[in-house]
Amino acid sequence: VKAPLTWMREFAPLPDDAAAVASRLGACGFEVASVDGDVIDFEITANRPDCLSVYGLAREAATAFDVALTSGNASLPDPQGKALLPVSIGDAGCARYAMAVASVTIGPSPEWLAARLTAAGVRPINNIVDITNYVMLEVGHPMHAFDLAKLGGPEIRVRRARDKETLVTLDGVTRTLDDTMLVIADRERAVAVAGVMGGAGSEVSAATTKVAFESAWFLPASVRSASRRLGLKTEASARFERGADISAPARALRRALQLLTQTGAGEVTGGISDVYPRPAAARTVELSRARLARLLGDTVPDTHVERILAHLGFTVRGAADGWSVDVPTFRVDVAREADLIEEVGRHWGFDRIPATFPALSAVPRPMSPAIARDRKLRRILTGAGLQEACTFTFIEREAAEPFAADADTLVPIANPLSEKFAVLRPSLLPGLVDALVYSRRRETADVRIFESGAVFSSAGETTSVGWLLTGARLSHWSGDASPADFFDARGIADLVSAAFGVTVSARAATRPWFVPGRTAEIALGDDVLGVVGEVVPALLAARGLPAGPPVVGGELALAPLVREDAGAPRRITPLPRFPSIVRDLSFFIGERLPAAEVRGTIRSNAPPTLVSVREFDRYQGKGVPDGMISLSVRLTFRDNDRTLTDVEVQRSVDAILAALAARHGAILRGKTE
Amino acid sequence: VSLVDDLRSEFHAALAGATSPAAARALRDQFLSRKQGKVTALLKAVGAAPADERRVLGAAANALKQDIEAALDAREAELAASAPPPGAVDVTLPGRLAAPGRRHPLTQVRERIEDIFLGMGYQIIDGPELEDDWHNFEALNMPPEHPARDMQDTLYLAAPVPPMSAGRPATLLRTHTSGMQIRYMEAHKPPVRIIAPGRVYRRDNFDATHTPMFTQVEGLVVDEGISLGDLKGTLNTFASQFFGREIRTRFRPSFFPYTEPSAELDVECQGCDGKGCGLCKQTGWIEILGCGMVHPAVFEAVGYDPAVQTGFAFGVGIERLALRLYGVDDIRMFYENDLRFLGQVPL
Repeated sequence: VKAPLTWMREFAPLPDDAAAVASRLGACGFEVASVDGDVIDFEITANRPDCLSVYGLAREAATAFDVALTSGNASLPDPQGKALLPVSIGDAGCARYAMAVASVTIGPSPEWLAARLTAAGVRPINNIVDITNYVMLEVGHPMHAFDLAKLGGPEIRVRRARDKETLVTLDGVTRTLDDTMLVIADRERAVAVAGVMGGAGSEVSAATTKVAFESAWFLPASVRSASRRLGLKTEASARFERGADISAPARALRRALQLLTQTGAGEVTGGISDVYPRPAAARTVELSRARLARLLGDTVPDTHVERILAHLGFTVRGAADGWSVDVPTFRVDVAREADLIEEVGRHWGFDRIPATFPALSAVPRPMSPAIARDRKLRRILTGAGLQEACTFTFIEREAAEPFAADADTLVPIANPLSEKFAVLRPSLLPGLVDALVYSRRRETADVRIFESGAVFSSAGETTSVGWLLTGARLSHWSGDASPADFFDARGIADLVSAAFGVTVSARAATRPWFVPGRTAEIALGDDVLGVVGEVVPALLAARGLPAGPPVVGGELALAPLVREDAGAPRRITPLPRFPSIVRDLSFFIGERLPAAEVRGTIRSNAPPTLVSVREFDRYQGKGVPDGMISLSVRLTFRDNDRTLTDVEVQRSVDAILAALAARHGAILRGKTE
Repeated sequence: VSLVDDLRSEFHAALAGATSPAAARALRDQFLSRKQGKVTALLKAVGAAPADERRVLGAAANALKQDIEAALDAREAELAASAPPPGAVDVTLPGRLAAPGRRHPLTQVRERIEDIFLGMGYQIIDGPELEDDWHNFEALNMPPEHPARDMQDTLYLAAPVPPMSAGRPATLLRTHTSGMQIRYMEAHKPPVRIIAPGRVYRRDNFDATHTPMFTQVEGLVVDEGISLGDLKGTLNTFASQFFGREIRTRFRPSFFPYTEPSAELDVECQGCDGKGCGLCKQTGWIEILGCGMVHPAVFEAVGYDPAVQTGFAFGVGIERLALRLYGVDDIRMFYENDLRFLGQVPL
């Protein structure tokens, strides 16, 4: 809100230095957006509607500078006589309605008044409308003027709108109302949306000779709801929905009448009608001296407590252990002791309060498992050469759908910023694909990225880690620049599982976003944790990826991994005291036989002394029969209680080979030690 | 004799360029080889010279031959002495390493903040990104139709989804990390000393300082007798540790529905040491976080007794601090994931 200092100075002898006033109020909770000559632009927080006014700000400034504030109330006119316009309130959404009628001569406002409006950012319109705006800017209370000749009856009825009732508002828009909205109506129809905007039909125009000034109080929730439903925010609605001063309507109206006479715009006829059926009860809040000191961590002298509160308009009486404080009606934000403590604190000065450090009264608890998990993941994956990415949680439907098990399980946002952010990500991969494309199109050929975070479906929110790799594993002058393939993606899954102390298995699977034949499910026991594979090139092309090496990646659900990794240190087994015996076997075997099955056959036909089985070569081509591959495995045998003999190991190897031949038709190529 | 002198100059000129063993060998061939060597040819020519010149010429030619042999021997010995040992490599070539991965700058700032509070005995907690109205608003003293809800333009789900843990269905994307405070207090008795980092969402349009998704770290301390002075001491320590030096701060009164009193913390501008510059709009101060004393209504909502417990809470915007820390002027850079940008942050 823009407040000209000269205007504020009409109410308090403040220093004639806009920068000084701005800076002092800035330290009391009124952030200053700018100071332009005499005009200070304050950013008023939502709890202080009373300071959406020159007078409210003058009150704060008078408190800050410890100078007296004048009310100007004594000189306000108080016309007596019969009110000329009947007013009836038919809904609790309006708690007070004051009205006065005046004969007017429409014309421009005097220059000083127009200049003040302009300085405060309001465009002058005509002398009557300008008076209502002037009062709103000065007192903070919104007013409205109707052309009396255009009111049916004439009379004023405050009521709910009828469903589908229409009203052309001052901005020329035809509004369709509903029965949740409060309107001001004449005998027949709505003439204003209460507290939001007047109607065009009763607008004050050059031909107007009699006006009805409205100064009312509407329930904040009612105004807010109507303003939101109509998508119409005004200076009036902003003030009413934050809470206007229920004591203000009559005073604002009298101020308007004073200006009417003062500017020669017209004269009041008849008295003021002020319908205020249930006057607000006075609110008293107790302030304890001890709690004031305890919450601030500082002892404010009593004289300062009393001075600050009195300056701000509170009525302070001493009580046994502090004060009884009557809250003025304009302070809609003050309801309890903490609110008063804030008032004292901010005018005492937060900067004067000594900085202390809270004592630890309980032993700190360990960080949540999810936080520890994410830290570990980042340590492991960055160590493996993957860059952490940070992509948006909401993505476009087009990007999400290819990665969703079922488009119906996507979670759409009701009011997205745009179509680009329409649904919550069902997987980390679509965001990573876009990030990878972004870098590939900007001079980065080799991309290795990961992200961990929340993913969403209609079943709710879970967390996972995803990764994508493309281009050279290692870029070096010595020429080793082979591109990442399926097994690099698989390796990351193995690494993540190892980091959480679990052994996962992989099995061939299909997913629409991965190339068939290069897709695997990663499982922990019977639980599928996720999938790894080579991303379908057409899908990448659709996201703008230029041609290049394959893009491989994967995604794992994190909750099961953390459950397994309960944080207990794992036992380390003592090192063997007896030597192991190693046998390398190479054999021809069917090309379609999964290595896992070969491994299974070996293990199930070997004694417990077989401690490890590891594939170390796989070859297909010259010298290998059609439809077969040459597979080489290294078997390690060890007994922890004695030294094994060659003879018994050979017996085990023979049994294994026999089983491989019998079950899979394996043909031994000879030992390759 | 002048022929001998010419040949000598020619040899010395060539010797200067013979800096490798191969060049020295070639030079030896060129001058001394039995078949085509230039000195060999000269010696042969001595026989054909007139008898009176033969002796002088022969002596000069032989002297030249010995000189050349000695010079070449010396050069070859010199080259042999400086030869690299067998198997030597060019150590000036780049080493072989997989390109290192880095944590995202927002993660680095977040962990930097977490680590400071870990050192002060805080527990780090996490919570769901999809929230219900109670945890995001009502329990934080923002009942329906509360005008403060306008301060945070909310993104709602088209249809509710089941919550992460038991409770109400989630209906919105959390607008702040404060919901985690509520969840924690609902489940734990005081005292409380936690921080809660995470992503938050608001329906803000993109510009250099706004994205509809950003990251916060929430802090909450509850105990008997926690004061605004404790809040100041804690956050002053945080600011100094974060920026790595003693730094001036100021607490400005402000408004949040869930704290009373509320404040905003400014630190002196890093760009101008508080003198005033474009970065701080000539004020010398940069706002880094919002904070305040927990509103009694929040304690009531979670079943704490506000007559006994007091506490403070704060919410730090990570992006805003990251802009300061890295000297970046556009928040959107953090979400582009351009590897040329991400590759510049420390490992």
